[in-house]
Amino acid sequence: MSRSARLLRYVLARLALAPVMLWLLATLVFLLLRLAPGDPVDALLGTRAPAAARAALRAQLGLDQPLLGQYGGFLIKLLKGDLGLTLTNQQPVTEVIGQTLPASLELGAVALVLAAVVGLAVGFSGIARAEGRLDLAARLYGIGTYALPSFWLAMVAQLVFAVWLGWLPVGGRFPPTLLPPAGSGFYLFDSLRVGVLSGQWQALAGTLRHLVLPASTLAVLLSGIFANALRLNLRRAMASDYVEAARCRGLSERRLIVRHALPNALLPVLTISGITVASLIGGALLIEVTFSWPGIAARLQEAIAQRDYPLVQGIVLVVAALVVAVTVTVDVLVALLDPRLEF
Amino acid sequence: MPLDAPEPGQRHRLGRSALARLLTLVPLLVLLGACQSRRDPDRLIVASRNRIDTVDPAGASTIGAMQLLSAIGDPLYAVRPDGSIEPRLAAQLPRISADGLRVVVPLRRGVVFHDGTPFDAAAMVFSLERFMAIGTLSYLLGDRVVGVRAVDSHTLELRLRKPFGAIPQLLSAINLTPLSPAAYRSHSRRQLSDRFVGTGPYRLTFFTPQQQRLEPFGRYWGRPPANNGLDLIALSNSTALFGALQSGEVDGLLSQSLEIDHQVALHQRSEQGLLVQATGPALNIVFLSVLSDQPPLNNPLLRRALALSLDRTRLIERVSQGLMAPLQGLVPPVVAGGTPQPWPAYDPAAARRLYRQAGYCGTRRLPLELTFRSNVPSDRLFALTWQALLQRDLGDCVELKVQGMETTTAYRLLGDGAFQLIVLDWMGDFPDADNYLVPLLGCEQAAGSVCRKGGSASSGSFWSRPGLEAELQRSATITGPQRLELVRRIQRQSADGSPYLPLWLVQPRMWVRPELALPRFDGSGRVLLQELRRR
Repeated sequence: MSRSARLLRYVLARLALAPVMLWLLATLVFLLLRLAPGDPVDALLGTRAPAAARAALRAQLGLDQPLLGQYGGFLIKLLKGDLGLTLTNQQPVTEVIGQTLPASLELGAVALVLAAVVGLAVGFSGIARAEGRLDLAARLYGIGTYALPSFWLAMVAQLVFAVWLGWLPVGGRFPPTLLPPAGSGFYLFDSLRVGVLSGQWQALAGTLRHLVLPASTLAVLLSGIFANALRLNLRRAMASDYVEAARCRGLSERRLIVRHALPNALLPVLTISGITVASLIGGALLIEVTFSWPGIAARLQEAIAQRDYPLVQGIVLVVAALVVAVTVTVDVLVALLDPRLEF
Repeated sequence: MPLDAPEPGQRHRLGRSALARLLTLVPLLVLLGACQSRRDPDRLIVASRNRIDTVDPAGASTIGAMQLLSAIGDPLYAVRPDGSIEPRLAAQLPRISADGLRVVVPLRRGVVFHDGTPFDAAAMVFSLERFMAIGTLSYLLGDRVVGVRAVDSHTLELRLRKPFGAIPQLLSAINLTPLSPAAYRSHSRRQLSDRFVGTGPYRLTFFTPQQQRLEPFGRYWGRPPANNGLDLIALSNSTALFGALQSGEVDGLLSQSLEIDHQVALHQRSEQGLLVQATGPALNIVFLSVLSDQPPLNNPLLRRALALSLDRTRLIERVSQGLMAPLQGLVPPVVAGGTPQPWPAYDPAAARRLYRQAGYCGTRRLPLELTFRSNVPSDRLFALTWQALLQRDLGDCVELKVQGMETTTAYRLLGDGAFQLIVLDWMGDFPDADNYLVPLLGCEQAAGSVCRKGGSASSGSFWSRPGLEAELQRSATITGPQRLELVRRIQRQSADGSPYLPLWLVQPRMWVRPELALPRFDGSGRVLLQELRRR
């Protein structure tokens, strides 16, 4: 069987397993949520309301049904692509996800690009002189950003740039004095479109102002991963036999790095990027909470506190499906780029 | 040339270029800072921690949602800061039939909804019936009202299950605000969470859970808003809210869910004249629920001893640096019947005598477990402080262990009698003594001094006494001085039983920038947003 056929078989197998995995995950989330003490009525009403009113609300929300019946109903709806209504405000779960997922994806994408640029630059910077000052600084940067608690960095950034200097907003996603641009839910894209079409750039400036602090904080935290990964892999590649052989053939150091060592060093970075993207799809909870970013992670956290079963189930499922899609895509990309991989 | 031997000056050039790139970032940030959208000075931004999931009165149950509804909707009656009743959409106070079972409410004429349709009795009937059918808090009305009907175009009639004295207070609940039947035609039996068409001074023109835009309603029947509109925003943490007010990003800040440290700091700034602080009526009570049907706290001596072991002044000083007021009753003092406060003050000598009488102190210490809600910072601080104070003052008599539990989990376990002592808080849906006494002391099924079913059981106390339920029911039906005396008597007798230990009152606050006039609260503890204005 040719390599491409084997790759195709591998991808199809992964995709075929995805629904099973998602079903298992959905079942697990369904059961865990209901095993946890307290339900949406407790979250909504607290200690108030007489027992009869609580029972009535439980019945209204369908929580008085037997667990098996609830599970069956959930699966049937799921097969039809219906994630149900939130228990707290009867809004379609897909609508809530549609509102919050773009916010997380936008933040994650901008942070990832920034992190990749900064991280790869830092990781690459030390290669010229191993154990030199630049290399040491790169290493310190990598370790430092790993070690920094994200909420601490976020709060310091907030304090300096928003409270003391007043350059940037403390939190939120868009200026409260403007109406967010309609469209895809990706404000950067939508406000850019508004700017291009109407010449009104206020929305874009507002979006950027709100994006700078959370995105750059997240980027700093992520960039250490890229810097360390590239630095270590580049160092390993530079010490490998094929680079030594190339050097013996008289290739310049620049060509040696760019043409031989770097492509090989970047392959593991690609895998790491995939994992990072997958983790960012679910949102960056601490960043979202600190900067009041209305993303999917913050919404999931609230939904768990409210015991909003359909919303928690829906968010977990959608995020899991996207993570599966991203990891399969990255696997395929790595396989296409690295002919040494076997399936 | 080998790669590890850079040209002379190359590293410096690299360093300089990196520095130059970094320096370009600073003007870029400054530029972004300058790119702020121009604000209408008379439009105000008010921030809070209140994420609002729904603006439908049938679904709204949080303080934040009620605050929003009070700006875009009108109640039939409003409670003034002094506790008196003011007709709003009602033209005058209700007329109650001789048997107390029929209530007639004349309605104001000339009122229109935000969609231009007229407000009348039919609209009020539509709204009340909708609330009773799908309201999360439908029990508010459903437990007391059998039905509603329009007597004529501007007269509403409510038929009650049994006489209820606090009907104007009940009708001041903002959840009962009228909705335009035309706008809600397709949502008469399902909620509409992101739009609102009512009669209030503002129209809701944009809604997300984090942000709401309010525009003055040009055809409002009452006094028009003093500002050009409001933007209400929710920030998800207390630090961000504090920072937003400090930096001038927002004009005002509501105190709900703000960390106590931030509240104290804002209070101090307002004392220095850097901010303006307004306070509302303290209607939120914080108390300990005492498990009264299980040993050892089924012994009334021990409950009384515990009541005498609470040094509220010291506890409040530690928990809130004096920002909260001590509470020695179940009904807040601002509510009729809330004074005098009958629970005993701190008296360690008297407490020690009672512990001793019950067989403790010296070689035998009373082991107690106190549960606090782990996501409420002041609860934790209270638990730890009280533990330390008891250890210091009555350490040979009582040994207090503390444990935290997530709020929703705690609420679920409360009715199972899972907690010897637990810190809880409570705010009535409308300011009336019954709203505090019935949920905490009400008992549908009692066996002697033990409540098996009812408010007392679901609040984790399980305490009752013969005749209490009848007194509570009677209190709901009467008015005037007779009722006040009854409320006071119920409180006095409950203090003797000590099924709850009142701790402190939480007063709503609002801080605004110094260029704004002092905000005002209504008697329900909500800021009058329409009155917010620059000086």
